[in-house]
Amino acid sequence: MSPRIGVVTFPGSQDDQDALRAVALVGAGPVPLWHRDPELHDVDAVILPGGFSYGDYLRAGAIARFSPVMESVIAGARDGLPVLGICNGFQVLCESHLLPGALIRNGGMLFINRDERLRVESDRTAWTRDYAVGQEIVIPIKNGEGRYTADERTLDQLEAEGRVIARYLDNPNGSARDIAGIANAAGNVVGLMPHPEHAVEALTGPYPGPATDGLPFFTSILKQLVAA
Amino acid sequence: MARVVVDVMLKPEILDPQGQAVQRALPRLGFDGIVDVRQGKRFEIELDGPADEAALAKAREMAEKLLANTVIEEFTVAFDPALTGAATTGTAATTPLTAVHGAAADSASSDSASSDSASSDSASADAMADSMRLAGAEQGSD
Repeated sequence: MSPRIGVVTFPGSQDDQDALRAVALVGAGPVPLWHRDPELHDVDAVILPGGFSYGDYLRAGAIARFSPVMESVIAGARDGLPVLGICNGFQVLCESHLLPGALIRNGGMLFINRDERLRVESDRTAWTRDYAVGQEIVIPIKNGEGRYTADERTLDQLEAEGRVIARYLDNPNGSARDIAGIANAAGNVVGLMPHPEHAVEALTGPYPGPATDGLPFFTSILKQLVAA
Repeated sequence: MARVVVDVMLKPEILDPQGQAVQRALPRLGFDGIVDVRQGKRFEIELDGPADEAALAKAREMAEKLLANTVIEEFTVAFDPALTGAATTGTAATTPLTAVHGAAADSASSDSASSDSASSDSASADAMADSMRLAGAEQGSD
């Protein structure tokens, strides 16, 4: 039986269907999860998708963090459950304190929607094993509050422990140290502002390409779960 | 009934692009001499029960848990004198503030005099709010 990967739908999630589709494309079993249901339905990993959960009221991710499903996701993540937070999902992970720092309004105030060049910085997380360190990839971003920030001590610690997983080559929003994504110390929880689920097929991925640079996020987790 | 006001602001070291946008817009409307603008959030929370230290402590817990993200924001907690002060006049309004002073580590004690004078005469609600915020406000920790 193929590994089951859950994708949470919050009110205001937008990319849950794309994430489910990406999961199916690599041959894993997509499992829709519902924000009000604390049951994780025996999934082997969880994706928190992009969008505007609870309308981004108060702060992006602040209300979602206290939803029933997140209590189970937080408990699972602390026990090693692989969790990938994409965009709004990254914001939820920071609000949950599963990842350090915060994502605040982009410098320049603009909502930015474009294909972004990134450099992969770690192949040691559950979600990035299929990349090579230093590999340059193209993944779309679309956010208004994507500027990663943390105090200097936290940033130094992330760097020292190899927990920056991807950096922008052309920093779009003023993110500290060009950070596009980070991992927790154990490497099972990863947060990423760009959207790998939008770069998995030639037809809908970045044009003129490379169009499928996001696929390794999904093949990485699949291989890890199959090997486990 | 007590109304607690929680003000949430980005920490000074965090860039505030919204405040900057407002700052750039004001001179275009003819306002000069603007040095800095920062934008925050204000919550007005009505609680049943008296305006006492327990009510402030409850609001502080709400702020730490949900209203503010203390990674990037700081907050102040104070009673709204428009409700709390007007209904109880003088003594009851100042008593909880004294209690706040006792609990606050960093509050400026020299400001407490202005709180007393503001509540003893018929100062406007705005002036009272300002002085009481100075006197009673507590800074959110880290």
